[in-house]
Amino acid sequence: MSAVAEETRKPDTAARLLHRVRALVSNPHGRPRALMTITWIYMVWTILPVLIAILFSFNDGRSISVWQGFDATRWYWGDPVNSVWQDPGLQSALWQSLKLAGLDMLIATPLGVLLALGLARWRGYGSRPANFLMLFPLITPEIVMGVSLYLVFQYVYVFVEPSTTAQVLGQVTFSISYVVIVVRGRLLSIGRQYEEAAADLGATPAQCLRLVLLPLMLPAILASTMIVFAISIDNFVIAQWLSCGAGCDTVPIKVYTATRSAPLPSINAVAAIMVYLTLAAVVLAYVVYRFLTRGERAKGQGQSEFAQMGSIDFN
Amino acid sequence: MNQGTDGTIQLTNLVKRFGDHTAVDHITMDIPSGEFFSMLGPSGCGKTTTLRMIAGFEQPDSGTILLNGRNMEHEPPHKRPVNTVFQNYALFPHLNVFDNVAFGLRRGKLSKQEINRRTSEALDLVMLGEFGDRRPSELSGGQQQRVALARALVLKPAGLLLDEPLGALDAKLRRQLQIELKALQEQVGITFIYVTHDQDEALTMSDRIAVMNEGQVEQMGTPSEIYEAPETAFVADFLGASNLMDATGHGDDGRGRCRVEVGGHELIAALGNSSATGGRKVTIRPERVKLEKPDAPSDAENRVSGRVQRSIYIGSAFQLIVELELGCTIEVEIQNTGDQKRFAVGEEVRAVLPPEALRVLRNRNEPREAAAPAADDTTSTAAADRGVASGGTPPRARQAGA
Repeated sequence: MSAVAEETRKPDTAARLLHRVRALVSNPHGRPRALMTITWIYMVWTILPVLIAILFSFNDGRSISVWQGFDATRWYWGDPVNSVWQDPGLQSALWQSLKLAGLDMLIATPLGVLLALGLARWRGYGSRPANFLMLFPLITPEIVMGVSLYLVFQYVYVFVEPSTTAQVLGQVTFSISYVVIVVRGRLLSIGRQYEEAAADLGATPAQCLRLVLLPLMLPAILASTMIVFAISIDNFVIAQWLSCGAGCDTVPIKVYTATRSAPLPSINAVAAIMVYLTLAAVVLAYVVYRFLTRGERAKGQGQSEFAQMGSIDFN
Repeated sequence: MNQGTDGTIQLTNLVKRFGDHTAVDHITMDIPSGEFFSMLGPSGCGKTTTLRMIAGFEQPDSGTILLNGRNMEHEPPHKRPVNTVFQNYALFPHLNVFDNVAFGLRRGKLSKQEINRRTSEALDLVMLGEFGDRRPSELSGGQQQRVALARALVLKPAGLLLDEPLGALDAKLRRQLQIELKALQEQVGITFIYVTHDQDEALTMSDRIAVMNEGQVEQMGTPSEIYEAPETAFVADFLGASNLMDATGHGDDGRGRCRVEVGGHELIAALGNSSATGGRKVTIRPERVKLEKPDAPSDAENRVSGRVQRSIYIGSAFQLIVELELGCTIEVEIQNTGDQKRFAVGEEVRAVLPPEALRVLRNRNEPREAAAPAADDTTSTAAADRGVASGGTPPRARQAGA
């Protein structure tokens, strides 16, 4: 009796086991394990080097590859000669990077928003080529961009010396496309209907921009500001080509030159500071966004809106 | 600023082209103050483009728009005395309901109390007084629609332009809002121009309807005129069910009725142009056709024998598809009175198409009988050209065009 039961159950168990195994790989209702694994591998792969670099900024020794104990402050401000705070070269590089990124952000964002408005609402001949041209700085190799800017300032716009001004101009030229693409995408996705509604209700074009378009574009504007800051603060090629010498060196230039001689963990510290600043900028943008749209959200909606902030619409 | 007391809207020979495509082709409409006027037609017939030209979002290629008797040619949308209810409402998502409705008022020079008072009034009018501090995203589709209505009405415009305002709602809500909308229009007395592709909507609400097709007005009239006396095959087909038959006109029968030949049989049509000759379409509504047993004694005019192809029970009526010896198939609707004759599929029957229900239709591009204005030569010539191209225009229509 039991033998019979055993026999009938055996293939059943095997089938169930097989089903289990297959479900691990291809259960349409289960969690997407393969995708999750790939995602996690990717995240660890990208974040690990950054974490190691930051870790060595806390090294209690002069090596950037051999761990010699933990010291939270030595390479930030503790070391009387070589810490970021005490080394005038590192300090000025950090300051220069922040200055470039800040100015770039302040100049490229408003210009880019205006350009995006023009391009998105320009119907007719010439709008397609103009839209395509906006992509050029993105697809041109940065080194080509850097060299050409250098040559242009050298031979055409001779009144611009290699200097901080030249660096800012170069970075604005380069980063304005990002603003245009992000903001234009948002404009295309919100369509013309709100503008038309505003005009229909008696709003002049200026009121329409201020009262309707700007609030609706805000997420995209914040996102592009963040992008400009991020690509500008670690820009190497353009900053290098338009540099006026040691006084114009940015953090990436400094890091590059230092690693070719005798690198100290203070280099890791200055790089880590850039990471902290970028993170702070993201948090700040999020807080500002929450503040500016505090009334707009239906419950539980703001989070996803912020997540969509950087989404680009290539219509 | 958008205040008007007059409310007349006059369009004269409006033309709008997009590239090679003529979206609006010489449209002339004269809409008196306080009228509920509908533009009815399939998508792409130019009704929305016409509305957008009135609102000022599109520039006409030629023709004039007069609002309150004032030419709107160089007026931007924000200076026109009309307001629009958009198809997708276009409520500002970053403003609450109250601020959405007050948006237009705040663009003028009104005191804060006045703005608050009128906004609250408008919200009460659409029964959303309690919802002022909600976001549009927190409202249902019907409520959003009412906010859009309040936002436009609060400015007391000379004309309200509605672009398929009920299109996004479900059927039940749509019927309810149709009634509300009509009541509201009577209450505020503002000229409404209503764009829709839904014939029921147009018929239930409108004072007058313009049926549009391919950028032109096919027929303009009251709902009953349009439904009872369609002038063209398009109108007959678009509004309600119609049996359309190809025919040849042979002119008057001496009693003010038209003799038409359909599939070798001569029928008498009492409706439409009695002196029509040449290729025509004739039409009869399914509920006006009578069916008899073939052996029943009868001296009715327009008797045609046929065979029942299909019989569909639809509760209140029977719908029969009958193949006539004329070489065409017609739809017949018989009211379910409980004691009417039954016809089985395959049964031989005799269909009577009463002359007083049979209508001779105008060919699409032929001028109307009531001496259509000959002022515009380009239209009629172009129309005749198109007629030739499609191969369907009889000689008479071509002469009329020349």
